[in-house]
Amino acid sequence: MIAGTALQALIRTQLPDADVGIVDRTGTMDHFNLTIRSRAFKGKTLLEQHRLVYGALEEALRDGRVHAVELKTIVAES
Amino acid sequence: MADNYNDEIEREVAEHKILVYGKGTKDAPRCGFTLETIEFFDSFGYPFEVIDVLENQAKRDALSQMTNWPTLPKVFINGTFYGDTDILGAMAESGELQTTLQDAFGGTALPTKQTINLR
Repeated sequence: MIAGTALQALIRTQLPDADVGIVDRTGTMDHFNLTIRSRAFKGKTLLEQHRLVYGALEEALRDGRVHAVELKTIVAES
Repeated sequence: MADNYNDEIEREVAEHKILVYGKGTKDAPRCGFTLETIEFFDSFGYPFEVIDVLENQAKRDALSQMTNWPTLPKVFINGTFYGDTDILGAMAESGELQTTLQDAFGGTALPTKQTINLR
């Protein structure tokens, strides 16, 4: 389980400008739909964009704070 | 050790044009995302394989290391890693996936599920 603010902070360790939309899919605060907007995605394939996010979440995924994530990444233009 | 799994994984990836490493099997998926991935590929009509790695942490670690991707399911098409349905769904929307699948299966037209040609 992880609080939304902590999850957002984790993502911002890799993507400091990230705008993070969080949906708690199951009410248990460990299955999330995340919509992340960042300039860092610019010019990257979708796989690379998602790898950036997973890089930020790797520890939380390993220790179970986050169990499952459905990701949507959006390239922020400005 | 992780490395003897690398050979096993490379062999499996080469053996199947569409390969899903997931939790559970095709008949008994044990994770929502694995089920979603099975249903996703069912909708395209091409043959695909699901390999259950739920209980095999060493193989899961080898896979994560090889693909730099921490979660399951992990999908390979024609030997290339494509992540999961978050990636494949977007590729399907843009039509890129249909081309990738046709290339993988030697340009055969997409087998529509309804018409089974018996030629």
